[in-house]
Amino acid sequence: MEKRRFRKKELEQYNGKDGASAFISYKGKIYDVSSSFLWQNGNHQVLHNAGVDLTHSLGQAPHGEELLERFPVVGTLQEN
Amino acid sequence: MKGVSKMAKVTREMVEKSGVNVEQLVELLVKNAAAELTTYYYYTILRVNLIGLEGEGIKEIAETARIEDRNHFEAIVPRIYELGGKLPENMKNFHDISACPPASLPKDPTDIKAMLTVLVNAERCAVRGYTHICNLTAGKDHRTYDLALSILNEEIEHESWFSEFLGEGPSGHFLRRGETSPFVSKFLK
Repeated sequence: MEKRRFRKKELEQYNGKDGASAFISYKGKIYDVSSSFLWQNGNHQVLHNAGVDLTHSLGQAPHGEELLERFPVVGTLQEN
Repeated sequence: MKGVSKMAKVTREMVEKSGVNVEQLVELLVKNAAAELTTYYYYTILRVNLIGLEGEGIKEIAETARIEDRNHFEAIVPRIYELGGKLPENMKNFHDISACPPASLPKDPTDIKAMLTVLVNAERCAVRGYTHICNLTAGKDHRTYDLALSILNEEIEHESWFSEFLGEGPSGHFLRRGETSPFVSKFLK
């Protein structure tokens, strides 16, 4: 099945707040992290918010991209 | 931060001047304090259920890790208040903002591999958390860095103990000989 393509503006709606799902983008893929205890209310370890592209942030995180693999990919990020 | 105590005014000012976002740092410290106290609670349940020939062999290190996690909580709290923060008044809220997921008892507590996986994952979350705090404070907030580094040293050893039991390889570490918290004890005196 073809994955949904998200524009950045669309992704911003999935910020995990007020009942919205929490989606994040990494290297062009959109992951649904709503089920994670560590993404409650769309916030992760104080510094990171859902609804945005975190490709550059992950490089400074104390974990690698392997932790993203446990979450479902729900789409891809469309270049503007 | 509203209602910041003037008690440690210069302490906070020095950290702010170093470029650290003190509000974010305090929030991180509170979340990690929550992780320590909740882990202490969940490890109590895990330790109680470590029984039988295999379980008894792990009970000792689970107990050491449990006590040291409580020590970490005790060591972090003063720094939160020094920086103008405070603990949530509601214990349930405190649990729910933890920097690490609950280390819940596996469905089958006689499954020792499942028990060890819960334990090692909890330690790995802690190692990541304190590495993060060290990275944020290195060369800036010396006291928080020293505290986070001391806790990190103990969390790394906890991870290695459980990792060895899972057969992931040798770590070169021994069990504690004597008192607990060899790195963090200086913050508890």
